[in-house]
Amino acid sequence: MKLHVMALRTLSRNKRRTLITSFSIAFGIFLAVTFTGTGDYSYTSMINTSAVMGLGHISVAAEGYNERPSLSRWLPDMDRVRKKALMIDSVEGAYPRIMGQAMFAAGAKSVGGMFMGIDPVLEKPAHNFFLRSIVEGELFDTVDGRGAVIGVEMAEKLNLRLGKKLIVTVTDKDGELTSELLRISGMFKTGDHDADSSIVLLPLARMQQTLKYGTGGVSFVAVHVDDLRAVNRVRREINGSLTGAGNVEVLTWRQTQADLSGLIAVDRLFNYLMQLLVGLVIAAGIMNTMQMSVLERSREFGIMMAVGMAPGQVVRMVLVESFWLGCLGIVMGIVLTAPWFIYMSETGIDMSSYVGRDYSAGGVLVDPVVKIRLFRESAFFILITVFLLTMAASVYPAIRAGRVLPVDTLKDSTF
Amino acid sequence: MMDAEYIARLDRVSRVYYQGRVEVRAVDNLDLLIRPGEFSALSGPSGSGKTTILNMIGALDMPTSGTVYLEGRDLTRLGRGELSRLRRDRVGFVFQAYNLVPVLTAYENAEFVLALQNVPVQERRDRVMAVLEEVGMAGYVNRRPDELSGGQQQRIAIARAVVSDPAIVLADEPTANVDLEAANTILDLMEDLNARKGVTFLFSTHDRLVMDRARRLVKLRDGRLEDDNQAA
Repeated sequence: MKLHVMALRTLSRNKRRTLITSFSIAFGIFLAVTFTGTGDYSYTSMINTSAVMGLGHISVAAEGYNERPSLSRWLPDMDRVRKKALMIDSVEGAYPRIMGQAMFAAGAKSVGGMFMGIDPVLEKPAHNFFLRSIVEGELFDTVDGRGAVIGVEMAEKLNLRLGKKLIVTVTDKDGELTSELLRISGMFKTGDHDADSSIVLLPLARMQQTLKYGTGGVSFVAVHVDDLRAVNRVRREINGSLTGAGNVEVLTWRQTQADLSGLIAVDRLFNYLMQLLVGLVIAAGIMNTMQMSVLERSREFGIMMAVGMAPGQVVRMVLVESFWLGCLGIVMGIVLTAPWFIYMSETGIDMSSYVGRDYSAGGVLVDPVVKIRLFRESAFFILITVFLLTMAASVYPAIRAGRVLPVDTLKDSTF
Repeated sequence: MMDAEYIARLDRVSRVYYQGRVEVRAVDNLDLLIRPGEFSALSGPSGSGKTTILNMIGALDMPTSGTVYLEGRDLTRLGRGELSRLRRDRVGFVFQAYNLVPVLTAYENAEFVLALQNVPVQERRDRVMAVLEEVGMAGYVNRRPDELSGGQQQRIAIARAVVSDPAIVLADEPTANVDLEAANTILDLMEDLNARKGVTFLFSTHDRLVMDRARRLVKLRDGRLEDDNQAA
């Protein structure tokens, strides 16, 4: 049977209805792309921002460090971890860092805060938000020097300027209090109040000496990947490569940034729920249209069955119509959505006048420009889901068509 | 009596409908035999049971009581799928309102039943073109039903009915919607197919023209046999 030919001709018979139905499918794709795309963009953006605030997408740390961060928990051999990580596909960078609490003093003033020991030679602005945010001076240039980069709000509290002295007091690995005298080489302003008022960047080797870690000791190695979808694989591979390395734990951002992970999970759930509701409304519309179409043609189905078409073939014929309707809707959806997608992925909508430039959620700065980013699998998922919804919405009308009794429909047309 | 001697047989058949609470006895305890090669007509006033009898012989409707046989098979014992295949393979229908599939061309309408039977494409083409030649519609293969006159549509409907070599063609008021000239052409065509190929035709009709040309005329009244000019 030429079911496809018949289906296409049937669809072209009532062009307006076909166009309206296809448009509703296309609109479903438009909404799904918008919802999913903004979600994918904002989640990726938040995760990346969180990663560049210090811990990376994956954090290789001493066991227990993530649960109870302390300078008494440290990794003894950062080079081995770093080299192993950098050999793995998708890893863009691996940065040894020491992070812990400290007391910062200048003149008669002092404040508590966090320090991050970094290697100025290895660090890249792309993977370190503080380097990107330096607004005065510059990053210290030696790993064992006495430079320090301080947040602008802390500098204000301590009344510090570039070149001024800063005393850092920490508890070393043995529990002894120890101090270092450093000079301010730069100041950063991230826009996040907590970061700008409490974090200080210090030379890694200097802090290794201060904390008595030895040359290879760090709190953790922050690993950055080029694609968030690779995080779990990379974590497994790092874990595998470090077998026998002692008390090491390899954690993804989901574990190190549990608040953010929870926030994203809840938001994603609501996003999917919203899409499900929109999808159901659209499916109901498609079902109604198909139902109308089937009712209008019940005499036609009756004739076809009278001359020998099996009920199953009638059901298949209506489903084939839905198949083409779905295909048409998808093509229309792509045409309708493409310009919007291009605009939103390249330019986006700037919401800073509503939320400000320093809006944060889950402790992470959020880009005030709403953009769309769609992973390939998300795009396929949307198209396949919309297509399946269209088919599912046609199942009941198709079954109704197959249940038409020829004798009843022919009664109306005088045999 | 051997069933093979008959295409269709109705044994004490009744068909009762209900319009609301009112019982309508469309066919009442009727016996009828249709032999191979017959060119017969059922006549009678509206409500006499003509269409109901055609529906039951065509496996579209079932009797309330009694038995309907088609080529020896008891239709009341067949399932929906078997009835569907039986209609496809052994019965041809010609409807008063032509009832062609509007989205198919004349050729495709004539081909429809063969396509359902999964006849190979080349054989299908040969048989369809041959039958379209016979009904004088070979020049209209690409026309859709709405591009054809009533008479032309009815000729395509006849082509669809006979193309699969059915045991019987059931035609309900086939001339009711066409003018006299077209009615004569249609009847000529059916007579010719009956004479040359032995196709069995059973009409239901009010049309004097059809009654005059039918070799057997079965008159019905209130669902009962009133007269049969060739009663067995």
